[in-house]
Amino acid sequence: MSGNDELNKKLRRLIDTVDIANLLTEPLTRSIHDLLGVSAGELNAREASVLIRDGEDGGLRFLAATGEAAPTLLNLKIPAGKGIAGFVMSSGQPMAVSNVGEEANFYAEVDKATGYSTEMILATPLRHNDDMIGVLEYINRPGEPPHLPFTPEEMDKAAHFADAIASLVNAYESAKLFRDLGEKIVGTDEDLDITSVREWLRDLRSSSEHSEMMDLAILIREVASRGESERRICKEILESVLRYSDSKSDRNFLSL
Amino acid sequence: MTSNREDNPDCEARTPTLLDLGEGWRSATGKGVTVGIVDSGIDADHPDLAGRIVESVEARLDDKRVVFDPSEAGDSAGHGTACAGIISRIAPDTKLFSIKVLGTGGIGDGQAFLAGLEYAINKRHRIINLSLGTTKPQFFSPLHDLLDRAYQAGCVVVAAANNLPQPSFPSVFSSSLISVVKSTETNHLYFGFNYGEVIELSAPGVNVRTTWPNGGYRTLTGNSFACPHIVGVIALILETHPDLTPFQVKSALYDLARRRQAF
Repeated sequence: MSGNDELNKKLRRLIDTVDIANLLTEPLTRSIHDLLGVSAGELNAREASVLIRDGEDGGLRFLAATGEAAPTLLNLKIPAGKGIAGFVMSSGQPMAVSNVGEEANFYAEVDKATGYSTEMILATPLRHNDDMIGVLEYINRPGEPPHLPFTPEEMDKAAHFADAIASLVNAYESAKLFRDLGEKIVGTDEDLDITSVREWLRDLRSSSEHSEMMDLAILIREVASRGESERRICKEILESVLRYSDSKSDRNFLSL
Repeated sequence: MTSNREDNPDCEARTPTLLDLGEGWRSATGKGVTVGIVDSGIDADHPDLAGRIVESVEARLDDKRVVFDPSEAGDSAGHGTACAGIISRIAPDTKLFSIKVLGTGGIGDGQAFLAGLEYAINKRHRIINLSLGTTKPQFFSPLHDLLDRAYQAGCVVVAAANNLPQPSFPSVFSSSLISVVKSTETNHLYFGFNYGEVIELSAPGVNVRTTWPNGGYRTLTGNSFACPHIVGVIALILETHPDLTPFQVKSALYDLARRRQAF
């Protein structure tokens, strides 16, 4: 097997792994995000976010968030037991806090990173089978101040949303385990950086050109499934298109 | 032998007052009463708490055993400082002992929680504030044993009810401790006794303004903050009635709540 063949084979395995992983995790993170938006509306909260376990020492990282600060939040981590989220994670008890922004506080770092100003928080635990798996947070009220603090009734409502979100988070973590395992298996005999491959694929697939190519591929597959004569006609049409394109651009003709 | 009921035909019309606390405790400050706060630590430098924290320890894992070392770590979460502020506002002369079991890292939370409670019992703190709990069934039995030990040792344990719609331990143990749920009362000295409920006492726990690390203050909601209100009231009672047993303390709270004469 030549070097190029070997590289192609490895790249194909990487892409397959990334594809399977994304198929597993992306719908779940999307559903979590959607539910966050719905629940924030129900609780009259401006933003909402989900933090999940990060490592074994009780630390947290943001998995999903709504609002403008979401992209920045998704890179942030909270050390074990620190801040309101850290307490809720370690105690398993919900908590509502007002006047968060009154003076220098534990959230100053988060606010500094996001450019956001945290005034009030309602934080409730995410549990699965009695195990703490994360924290659900609602931040601030919409509209102009003065704002009323989160109420005990909203705290109860948040607990119900937490049950639904915890199920999704648990499914996400199971899928992620599979993804990590796949990446580990590929990574054992690879020099290729899977993170780079993931980013390259994401960039590639987020482009409009890629989307059009996928549509075209689906169309061809559909035509091909209709029968031999449809396949022959489709091939002739495509070859004609290529000849036309080639005549316009001096490119070499590629036979199909 | 006749029963009280036969001796006193009016007993059905009223609940007997078993304890006459007198009036002195109303002006008490909790002087001489020790309170162990098993929580996330306390910011001893907060102006409202300065000089009131007698000892701060934190949990550490030593060859699979949890041990407690002197701590200068303060409070990384704010919860313990908030509880200490509520207690010291009601009973400013209580001696507060911080037993940090949350945010120490590397120790299972349930394991550290149990060890912290045991530490407080061994130290014979007169009142133990447990604004924490667990829903894990494996802790039911060991917590029950510890609560019985506390009861027999004369330690009054006050625990916050679970804020979520499921039982948590130890708050559902009705016999050997005092459990508290939040109410919307705004007078922080007003409490209720719901005899027959699993969680018998209610106290202010909605939008409670209290101390927070780094010299700050926060307005907080949760059963966690109802619990230290009751601890504060008990500290006042125990200053003037230091020999009351945990059972008598609970009876006194019941009586005060019934007569609505607390303050």
